[in-house]
Amino acid sequence: MRVRKAVAMGAALTLTALVSACSSGSSSSSGSSTLNWWTWDDKQAAAYKVCATDFEKANPGVNVKITQYNVVDYFTKLTAGFVAGKAPDAFQNSVQFFPEYADQHQLLPLDDYIKKDKFDLSRFSVGVDSWKYTDGHQYGLPLDWAATGLYYNTGMLTKAGYTAKDVQSLNWNPDNGGTIGKMIAHLTVDTKGRRGDEPGFDKANIKTYGFGQLAAKDFLGQSTWSSFVSTTGWRLGNKANWPTQLNYNDPRLVKTMDWIRTLVAKGYAPKIGTFTNTVSDVDLLSSGKVAMETGGSWTASTFAKIPDIKVGIAPTVLGADNKTRAVFSNSNGNTIWAGTKNPDLAWKWVSYMGSEACQTKASATGTFFPSIPASMDASAKVLKAQGVDLTVFTDMLKNKELYPSPDFRNGAALQDAIEPLIEGYFAGQKSDSVFADMQSKTKSILTQK
Amino acid sequence: MVVTSQGNHATPVKPRPGEPGAVATTATSPGKGPTRKTRRPAATRSAAARRRDLPVALLLILPAVVGFATFYAYPTLRGIYLSFTDFHVLTPPQWVGLANFRELFGDDVFWHSLLVTVYFVLLSVGFGTAISLVTAVVLHRVTRSSVLRGVILLPFLISNVIAALVWQWMLDPTLGIVNIALKHLTGHSILFFGSGGWAIPSLAAISVWKWMGYYALLIFAGLQTIPSTIYEAGRVDGASEAQMFRRLTVPLLRPILVMVVVLTVINSFQVFDIVQVTTEGGPANASNVLQMYIYRKAFRQFDFGYAATMSLALFALLIAVTFTQLRLARANESDLN
Repeated sequence: MRVRKAVAMGAALTLTALVSACSSGSSSSSGSSTLNWWTWDDKQAAAYKVCATDFEKANPGVNVKITQYNVVDYFTKLTAGFVAGKAPDAFQNSVQFFPEYADQHQLLPLDDYIKKDKFDLSRFSVGVDSWKYTDGHQYGLPLDWAATGLYYNTGMLTKAGYTAKDVQSLNWNPDNGGTIGKMIAHLTVDTKGRRGDEPGFDKANIKTYGFGQLAAKDFLGQSTWSSFVSTTGWRLGNKANWPTQLNYNDPRLVKTMDWIRTLVAKGYAPKIGTFTNTVSDVDLLSSGKVAMETGGSWTASTFAKIPDIKVGIAPTVLGADNKTRAVFSNSNGNTIWAGTKNPDLAWKWVSYMGSEACQTKASATGTFFPSIPASMDASAKVLKAQGVDLTVFTDMLKNKELYPSPDFRNGAALQDAIEPLIEGYFAGQKSDSVFADMQSKTKSILTQK
Repeated sequence: MVVTSQGNHATPVKPRPGEPGAVATTATSPGKGPTRKTRRPAATRSAAARRRDLPVALLLILPAVVGFATFYAYPTLRGIYLSFTDFHVLTPPQWVGLANFRELFGDDVFWHSLLVTVYFVLLSVGFGTAISLVTAVVLHRVTRSSVLRGVILLPFLISNVIAALVWQWMLDPTLGIVNIALKHLTGHSILFFGSGGWAIPSLAAISVWKWMGYYALLIFAGLQTIPSTIYEAGRVDGASEAQMFRRLTVPLLRPILVMVVVLTVINSFQVFDIVQVTTEGGPANASNVLQMYIYRKAFRQFDFGYAATMSLALFALLIAVTFTQLRLARANESDLN
């Protein structure tokens, strides 16, 4: 008897839990309303809790629910939410999926709200245009910005006879690699302790590679080759936004890729596949396998926390003229779902998140770079006190060395078509002729309806 | 029926083809004869009884039919419909006729994926069946230990994703135990998942390792249906163990082996999870098996219409392959009777 009662009670409890779980999706029935906001970054989910609390205080009866899903599942989950009518009211969005969602009328245009509230978009120093679609509407507010820099193991650098000042203004050209080319060779050490530019150097047995993974499949090259080739004036798209083809067949890019291949052939940088894709930039530097590498600004505070290894940050290379620096930058955005039941409230939350008050508080955690300059300064100050110096990145912003990543359609199709070809090139299965093939592929994908 | 019991003095009844009770009746001893008589009246009554049973029967199969219709029939039909449309999930599908099929014929990646998949299937079916067969025979002839039989089955109990993750670590080019050993023995390591030539063989090896125990168990069960008298006869005729394996075990196991091959073929054609975990189709599409390509088209690029077309092609292919296999191998006949 007792067992049966327990089972019945368990079943009843599960049922009520299920019912309440179902009903929590709908809202605004009894005065209090729940606003759902999604992000793929666990650290930002925690950071924005501060803003949520403030927002709830200012708007009694409103409950902001922040949910985080891993980036691998995030967009699938979001799409499923659109289909099922259970998507969050507002969410963090990536430019890669922005055109698809806007095309299929899943995003709420923000123009009317911006006009009504006289919301000043010029408060953002970067990223506003990335969230404007081809139909002329503004669909999102920039949430953050990102750049890349050179991260290096200070111990290895000192041992090789360099100072932190030497890495601040390295130059590069695709013909002989410039000053950074020499430094990479000297930083490379084989298992017997011989350096890359010394006689007897054994490229088959490397202890430390002078530079990280340049030969990688990344089709944008953001944290690999982009900061090198961009100094030559090369840009990814044939137009700043909504390009009709990507310039893979430009001789400047082809020459850069050839330089990377020679670097790998000499043993100065790892062959493609040497490290599996689960190995991160942070792993590479902290394991001592790599002395220097290009890395995202979003990893700066993680690099600073590596135990026993002091990591220095330097700006990316200068061009052959010793003054051109150009860094690819992208901005994630904050967008509102077209199917939300509370569009006004969702806008209120999104615009609050885009305010200096919220950005300053949330970015003090150092997990992202706010698009509002004043908040960025505040964030940099807090991190400096914790020992993370972001001057390299804030200087790029001030000196206008950043250029925004172009928006383009069919990003996923493009990535899936191009990356195998880049892999084939770096694996030595394809010659320079692959680049013409790549460019014509981008043309057919980007102009596809 | 070849084997009759020693005490059977009655003349063996020749089984009439098509009669369901034929095998059972001939095998029973004369003492159990009446069973046959009691069946007759039941058969004459059945027409009326069947009619009365109809509503109950319908009620009883209803859950299965509803399940089949909802989870198999409807999705299949809708999948076929979607393959003729341009469908991006969030907007209603648009009929495009044969456009997807034309795209399919001109899609190099699709044909490459098909070749990659066939290569994987050949490797895993060939090695899988051979290794399972040898394992089962060794188990059958050498040991009676049920612990050992259980151990053989262990990899099958691990989830595909876990197995793939663990193998990925073991085969890691710099940290993996396999490569550390290789480096000590030969002086250089192998990029098991990172080089085009090794990716598919490595994946096939994981798949064989994972499924070997299960298929060995199926074959083992088949081995137990072969009467020991056949081996006694073989031994009397002076056949060696190897000869008996080749001339007795393998021919008599044919129906089971066919089943195992058919299962491995279907299973291997659908390989996805271990690829998704380890290589994600790379490097340079070297392990981009069909399911992987379909998944990417659908769930990454939201091109569900074209993905449905490819699924349909795979479906047709599997039906054709399975049908031919069953035909060629005469799977529903056994040499035991």
